[in-house]
Amino acid sequence: MKAFCITLGLLAITFMSFRTPSGYLEIMQENIQQLYEAQAIEELQSVVNAFTRIAQAEQKEWHPLYYAAFGNIMMSSRAEATSVKDQYLDQAEELVKQANERVEKESELKALEGFVQMMRVAVDPAGRGPQYSGLATQTLSRAVQMDPKNPRALTLLAQMEMGTARFFGSEPAEACAKLDKAIALFGNDQPEHPLDPAWGLESARAAKQQCP
Amino acid sequence: MLYCSFRLLLFLCYLTGTALSQSDAKIAGTVVDRNGNSIIGANVFLVDSYDGATSFEGGRFSFSTALQGEQILRVTFLGYEDTELPVNLNGDSLNLHITLAVGALELDQVVITAGSFAAGGEKRREVLQPLDIVTTAGATADLAGVFNTLPGTQAVGEEGRLFVRGGEGREAKTFIDGMLVQNFYSPAAPNTPSRSRFLPFMFSGASFSTGGYSAEYGQALSSALVLHSKPVANQNRLDISLMSVGVDAAFTKAWDASSLSGKLQYTNIDPYFSLINQDIDWIDPPTSYEGSFAYRKKMGTSGILKLFGNGNHSSFSLNRYSLDEPGQPIWTDLRNNYAYFNATLHDELAGGWIYRAGTSLTYNHDRIGLNQDEVDQPELGFHGKFTLQKRISAELELKTGTEYFLTDFQQTLRDAGEGEVFSAGFTDHLPAFFAEADLHLSAKLLARVGLRSEYYSLSRDWHVAPRASLAYKTGGNSQISAAIGRYQQAPATEQRLHAPTLRPEKATHYILNYQIMREGRTFRIETYHKDYDDLIKYQSPREGSPSMHTNAGSGFARGIDLFWRDNRTIKNVDYWFSYSFLDTRRDYRDFPEAAVPSFASRHNFSIVYKQFVPTIKSQIGATFRYASGRPYHDPNEPGFQNRQTKAYQDLSFNLSYLISQNMILHASATNVLGRNNIFGREFASRPDEEGIYASRAIRQPARRFLFLGLFITLSKDQVLNQLPNL
Repeated sequence: MKAFCITLGLLAITFMSFRTPSGYLEIMQENIQQLYEAQAIEELQSVVNAFTRIAQAEQKEWHPLYYAAFGNIMMSSRAEATSVKDQYLDQAEELVKQANERVEKESELKALEGFVQMMRVAVDPAGRGPQYSGLATQTLSRAVQMDPKNPRALTLLAQMEMGTARFFGSEPAEACAKLDKAIALFGNDQPEHPLDPAWGLESARAAKQQCP
Repeated sequence: MLYCSFRLLLFLCYLTGTALSQSDAKIAGTVVDRNGNSIIGANVFLVDSYDGATSFEGGRFSFSTALQGEQILRVTFLGYEDTELPVNLNGDSLNLHITLAVGALELDQVVITAGSFAAGGEKRREVLQPLDIVTTAGATADLAGVFNTLPGTQAVGEEGRLFVRGGEGREAKTFIDGMLVQNFYSPAAPNTPSRSRFLPFMFSGASFSTGGYSAEYGQALSSALVLHSKPVANQNRLDISLMSVGVDAAFTKAWDASSLSGKLQYTNIDPYFSLINQDIDWIDPPTSYEGSFAYRKKMGTSGILKLFGNGNHSSFSLNRYSLDEPGQPIWTDLRNNYAYFNATLHDELAGGWIYRAGTSLTYNHDRIGLNQDEVDQPELGFHGKFTLQKRISAELELKTGTEYFLTDFQQTLRDAGEGEVFSAGFTDHLPAFFAEADLHLSAKLLARVGLRSEYYSLSRDWHVAPRASLAYKTGGNSQISAAIGRYQQAPATEQRLHAPTLRPEKATHYILNYQIMREGRTFRIETYHKDYDDLIKYQSPREGSPSMHTNAGSGFARGIDLFWRDNRTIKNVDYWFSYSFLDTRRDYRDFPEAAVPSFASRHNFSIVYKQFVPTIKSQIGATFRYASGRPYHDPNEPGFQNRQTKAYQDLSFNLSYLISQNMILHASATNVLGRNNIFGREFASRPDEEGIYASRAIRQPARRFLFLGLFITLSKDQVLNQLPNL
């Protein structure tokens, strides 16, 4: 009887924990994992929607908005039409803005803002380069200032600097030094908060390939 | 023991029971748009909970919830209105069929394009981008210059201002943030194109309308150029420009929620004129001092306050030669003081209403010396405006507003010997009201109906102008638009000076437009008919002032405008092509009969070409403009407007070279082929002894205009440059 009771109890608990991953942290971690793995726009949209739902239920947390914005940037990079790309970027910009109302001076959010501006240039380099590339560089520098140990901000800034150096035909030495620093930082990146972003190492390595 | 187990069992049963009942409360259904098409990717969820799902194939969705009782289900999707509906959860499954309405910013939403070209807001699908103003050869970084390469405009080389669809220059008005700008152009020497007073760098976007515009804009018969000033700046910077015609320096200081910019400018064209010979007997070539400032502040969460001010002093003097007394130079001296101030505030109110309040003040003072005589002309313009708008529902958007214009103009003629010989002036109060509704009849059909009513204090009467337009989406990227409307404008200042009680001049526009835009390519064709009535007529004696002013004039203009732009086919190349056909006649001013006015040319076309050459870090551009001959009146021949000039042609080049990240060298040249463009002929007012009226050609004072400038930007990271501003 006792064994039956315990088995039943365990079963019930397993069943329940399987049914409802109850805590904010667990649900967030599950969705972050899905976001990093998502490829198609539909998958991204689905996980962005999940973050949006969490964001409206957890009015004090900035992480859900951060990941929703990041998901929109990813969708923008996968979309075909210029106007659709811009719509996702508009959405990302708006989400970052909302997230900034929930947390004071967060370097990760500044970096994401710069990422959006960088993507605007990518949509139409000739038409927007003059307007947005300087802006993106400035925003990303500010993100690095806010947290010099933020490897994502450093990587994005290095990518911008690389493009500029290539344009002016100069050596991307500074950008490469930043990438080395970023890669080292990725290595001992100890998140302050379990939900802090962890992406970017692969882009840093890919950019590093272009260094002499 | 048993008792204990029983309690445990009960507890566990309770727990599992809850878990089971959770899985039982299932919410499922479909999400579709108004046309019944399923929406994939919509977010369907219960407000304030994590519970929800994303709609997939067929617009279907399904999720479970543990929540009980009255809840709100929200459905959101990019480009659609958020939709909420109350649900009662009592353990039963729900099956819902949800229809989403197209939102205000839907991607492929139908918009009214009849008559208007949108520029700026570089993210949206628009015909022009702000950068185009700088990089268009021949536009010499002038606002009017770039719009002059669009269809519907006529090349009037000696004026430089916009002439739209058979309308005079004064029929095209400019608005900054909705507020009217009087005296938009700087004074210019005879037969030299005047430039707009406002620099392109101030604006983030523009809408250039060649007809059929909204009831919000009044006092413009032919065209409304609506400029949107930049938002709060977010970077500190200092810009220095060294140019062949002068120098300027500008700074921007940015704070968290506000910014202040200022600019000082000194223009002196003397060194340039000493190098390039001018067909003008200059005493003092044009010089000007200018200062401007812009302050922006975010107010609360949604409001923004914008202040802008601009002051300018310019002067020049020259000798003119009358055909009546060829040997006698007429000393002509012009001094102009100009000040413009504009303040706007907009914010959201409770209940979804958005208000905009604005005021603008223009002061323009001309002092013209003609030998011993002096003409003194101060003019004051005030414009106050308040509008309210709201999206009442997905189908209906309302805009309503009231405006007040004040114009005060005085003219005094003084003679060195006799003192004051003539003095006249008028003060005009013009209150106006407008209301407009946008009706989204379906996802593909949009109708806009509006009414504008104005009171003219000098003629003491009300004039009502109804306007309507319609747009229908014919495909994913194409649409047809039509517009019809009445437009009115107070008569020209010089005419009102003689006859203040004249009624406004009127025009009726009929426009039909087709436009297709696909990734990087735009094609549009537009045909229009415009009827003019109540135009001012008067009699012009050989000597003395015109008299017998009436509103008896009339006229028409009709034509076809074509536009093609492509920045996709060839990499790094962007070009556009405009053609306008114009057929117009008017019987106005002192015309003895209906005739083609001197500013109108039948065929106009322009090609603008731009190429970015990465290897030399430069953008190069060329613009070719052609206008067929313009009529003029030769009193030596029978008939009226009996002669025609040769066609106008201009080929211009420019080059912008990025020296380093914050330094740009800009060079441009107009009319590189050196064509001698003749704009018309002027005649003596009296015949000579042989009975012939002496004449001479109206032409450019110099065939080419060359420009060289170095633009330097200092910012914290040295990553900004003036390219977006030039």
